[in-house]
Amino acid sequence: MRFKLNLITLSFLAISSVVTASAMAADFGVNKANTSTVKQDKFQCKRCPKVDGYSGTIGVNAAYINSDDIHSGNAFGTDKDGANASVDADLKYQNDAGYKALFQAHRLGLDNSFAHLTAGKSGLYTVTADYQRLTSYQSGDAFSQLWYKDDLLTPSVHTQTQQLSLQRNQAGLGLSYGRDFYKAYVRYDHEQKTGNISSSIVTPRPVNFGQPVDANTDNLTAGLSLSGEHWVTDLNYFVSQYQNDIGALSLPYLYDVFAATPDNQAHRLSLSGQYQIGRTVISGRLASGKMIQDDALIQMPGNPLQNWDGEVKTLDGKFAVTSLVSNKFRLGGSVDYSKRDNKGSIWEFAQFEVNGITGAFKQNVPLDTERRGLKVNASYRLSSDYRLQAGYDRKEMERSYGDREQTNDNALWAKLNIQALDNLKLKLKATLDNRDGSEYQTNALTSSETNPLLRKYYLADRERTAFEAKFNHTPTSWLSLDLSARYANDDYNQTQIGLTESEDYGYDINLGLQLNQHLSAYAFGGQQWIKSNQAGSQGFSTADWYADIEDDFINLGAGFNYSGLMQNKLSLGGDYLFANSSSDTSVTYNVTAPLGDYYSFNHSLQLHANYALSEEMALKLAYQYERYYDTDYAQIDVDTVPGLTTLGDLNHNYNAHQVMLSFSYQLR
Amino acid sequence: MMNKCIITKLLCVIFAFACLSLPVQATAWSQLTGEQLEQQLTEKFAEGNYSKKGADSCLMCHKKNPTVMAIFDGVHGNSSQANSPMAGLQCEACHGPLGKHNKAGKEPMIAFGKESKLPAQTQNSVCLGCHNNPEQMAWHSSSHNLDQVACSDCHSIHTDKDPVMDPLTVNDSCTSCHSQQKSAMNKRSSHPLKWDRMTCVDCHNPHGSLSESALNRNTINDTCYSCHGEKRGPVLWEHAPVTENCANCHNPHGSVNEAMLTYRAPQLCQQCHMDDGHASRVVQQGGTDAFGGGKSCLNCHSQIHGSNHPAGSKLQR
Repeated sequence: MRFKLNLITLSFLAISSVVTASAMAADFGVNKANTSTVKQDKFQCKRCPKVDGYSGTIGVNAAYINSDDIHSGNAFGTDKDGANASVDADLKYQNDAGYKALFQAHRLGLDNSFAHLTAGKSGLYTVTADYQRLTSYQSGDAFSQLWYKDDLLTPSVHTQTQQLSLQRNQAGLGLSYGRDFYKAYVRYDHEQKTGNISSSIVTPRPVNFGQPVDANTDNLTAGLSLSGEHWVTDLNYFVSQYQNDIGALSLPYLYDVFAATPDNQAHRLSLSGQYQIGRTVISGRLASGKMIQDDALIQMPGNPLQNWDGEVKTLDGKFAVTSLVSNKFRLGGSVDYSKRDNKGSIWEFAQFEVNGITGAFKQNVPLDTERRGLKVNASYRLSSDYRLQAGYDRKEMERSYGDREQTNDNALWAKLNIQALDNLKLKLKATLDNRDGSEYQTNALTSSETNPLLRKYYLADRERTAFEAKFNHTPTSWLSLDLSARYANDDYNQTQIGLTESEDYGYDINLGLQLNQHLSAYAFGGQQWIKSNQAGSQGFSTADWYADIEDDFINLGAGFNYSGLMQNKLSLGGDYLFANSSSDTSVTYNVTAPLGDYYSFNHSLQLHANYALSEEMALKLAYQYERYYDTDYAQIDVDTVPGLTTLGDLNHNYNAHQVMLSFSYQLR
Repeated sequence: MMNKCIITKLLCVIFAFACLSLPVQATAWSQLTGEQLEQQLTEKFAEGNYSKKGADSCLMCHKKNPTVMAIFDGVHGNSSQANSPMAGLQCEACHGPLGKHNKAGKEPMIAFGKESKLPAQTQNSVCLGCHNNPEQMAWHSSSHNLDQVACSDCHSIHTDKDPVMDPLTVNDSCTSCHSQQKSAMNKRSSHPLKWDRMTCVDCHNPHGSLSESALNRNTINDTCYSCHGEKRGPVLWEHAPVTENCANCHNPHGSVNEAMLTYRAPQLCQQCHMDDGHASRVVQQGGTDAFGGGKSCLNCHSQIHGSNHPAGSKLQR
């Protein structure tokens, strides 16, 4: 550790001890209360309402979906066209003895749903049980002539239409037990992930295909936390195991051409704590872990191993101090450390591609990284209306086998909060960030291949300048206006080949209205532009081609809610959202040409009416409209490009509708 | 002329009503500055003149206020919960000793929320008096604390359901301030936050953490691995920027590119790979060859997150 950790700590503690006795910010914690005259046996709370028993709502939903694209399932929660049903619940139970249970369920029965149960006795134990199903849909119209069965992809003259989607089924169970000063806890989670994702295989010509996914992940975490009046500490152990049920993929004429994601394990033991001395708070964490992977390797000539002993040891630590030196002045700082030490052994493996330096054999390169960080910040209240914060952050990153062994990020930032006018808040922030480091050199393994003028963007020298302004205005109790604007410029000033410059700016506006007791409305809008330039060289020399990338995003929304119709029995609401994402790339090489269309937009409209049948029962009718369009110049038909087989044009263009009728019953 | 006269009279009536109503609504402490109020409350807190009958004393006046009574719908109003304030000093556990507050409102109480003149750190000291556990361990060094965010800016206590404790509404609470992230979740690709299938607190701890960006896990990559365990490895052939930081290529809050990539292939790849072979090839027209069509560089280098194939050094197998 290069930072003067002890010096920083001692400084904070010294300052803290000096000011502990001086005027401090108020502490109204109940543990500081002067209760010498309290006669708590008289606190009977006869006027307090009784809260025993069940409360909450349960509901059933019946919906009808009209859509010809499974992508709409992302918005509707299921890709199934036609009718569906689901269950909602939000229930609470509590009794005099201190037992309490909460149960929440949302859209149970659909492909995107969850249920959470928490039950226990206050101050003693808690049991939690969770279930969640998450499904994401990419396309239902992927064409492939590779038929998958038992790790074999069989080419066929018959084309199949595949669905590209991923489903996660998650279940978890947790238990915690504790009394005043301790709590022990354990939690187990299991996730099963299935589906098909877009991938590609070299046969030796590239063929895109729907890669099957069938994997399970098990996580177990257990720990003990202890706390006292001025301190809290937590000892935690975490273990995770990933198991892939899909093996290496083969073609009938090409065995084991696509390695499976190997099974892996991770273990981590961490100790964290916080200690408070007056108005100085010290917190820290130390975590040691390892990630293991020793799955059987594909057996082939030139592979000397049955299993590779993949093991990465990790060590993470952080120590932070913050001190409220006076009512007006806060001082803080932290140091952090993170090491990834790859202990996997190094061997030579035969490669199909002949390398100019190593020939047909190549050694694996276990990558190590080490990160050190330092942060110092101060906050000073100039007056009740102005508060200034400033800080310095440094991050050192060391890596093995990289083109640059070390990079250093130094950032200076300042924030000014202004509340000079009633109902008006202004926040300003400016950041100057400079990255440099050790000498940039293409490493020995690739030096003859890589253009010496290239500076990889995540290693290159970079000057970042960023500004941000936030404005909040609440002129009346029924109107609030938020406006934020930001600008950032990344200048890769030593880069001739690679990413040379990036500019990112935008704004957001939010308007909230509470027009009367029954009518509320909102509107928001925002835009963002990211403009980037990069340079390349086909001639293995200075730049001879340039790419200008212009990203453009706009987001608009508005909505209302009106309650109070028909003697407060009927309420109406609506939400509308529009989003447009586009990225235009033009490439200059002798002439400037656009790469092609790459954008998406969607309109989303939701309308709903709630009608109270009685004090307990209610009906809700909801309509949702989704208009989605996306296009990507790279999405081409299966055989548009000779030698390349794609999954076909996977662009989307659809209108989809959902009508949902819900009945809910309120328990009291 | 007639209209002008009516408007003038109307304005006079409104002004007169406003002048009359102000003194009625004003409290003895409404003119105090935040510092003066804090000083007075500090003295009152130290004196410890609590009521004789606890919540019953408070409800003598406040029982008709539905916001006040909503405390009994939540855990803070449940006297059968051993750690609840209602099982202890009741209303005064949070709002401080009654003192002479009930003598025609002569003394202020500790108040929370946007209308409170008390500094955020003073309001928060009430909450932290009980909530001293590992979840709040890093609060004091957190950016929310440094930015003077009050607990009550996010949490609602006088309610049966705190919006930030509900996975269907917590994202709305976070994005009411974090507007850039609110927009980003509507980009072409993003995590399923806009449908509340993921929440901001799945990755971040709003009370701060001992990791960067207040992440729940130790590092950015550990955070990603918690759902993407297949990326954890290690694998035989690693891809350096992947191993170092997932955020080198992905923006987890959303992107105008597919797969939350900061740039798309081939441009993203060519920001690091410019050799004397095909990686430096200029792609000037999309969809016409294997470099600009289909999955671009990933048509062949599909194992971009690393390969465990003995012959997979080019991340093709």
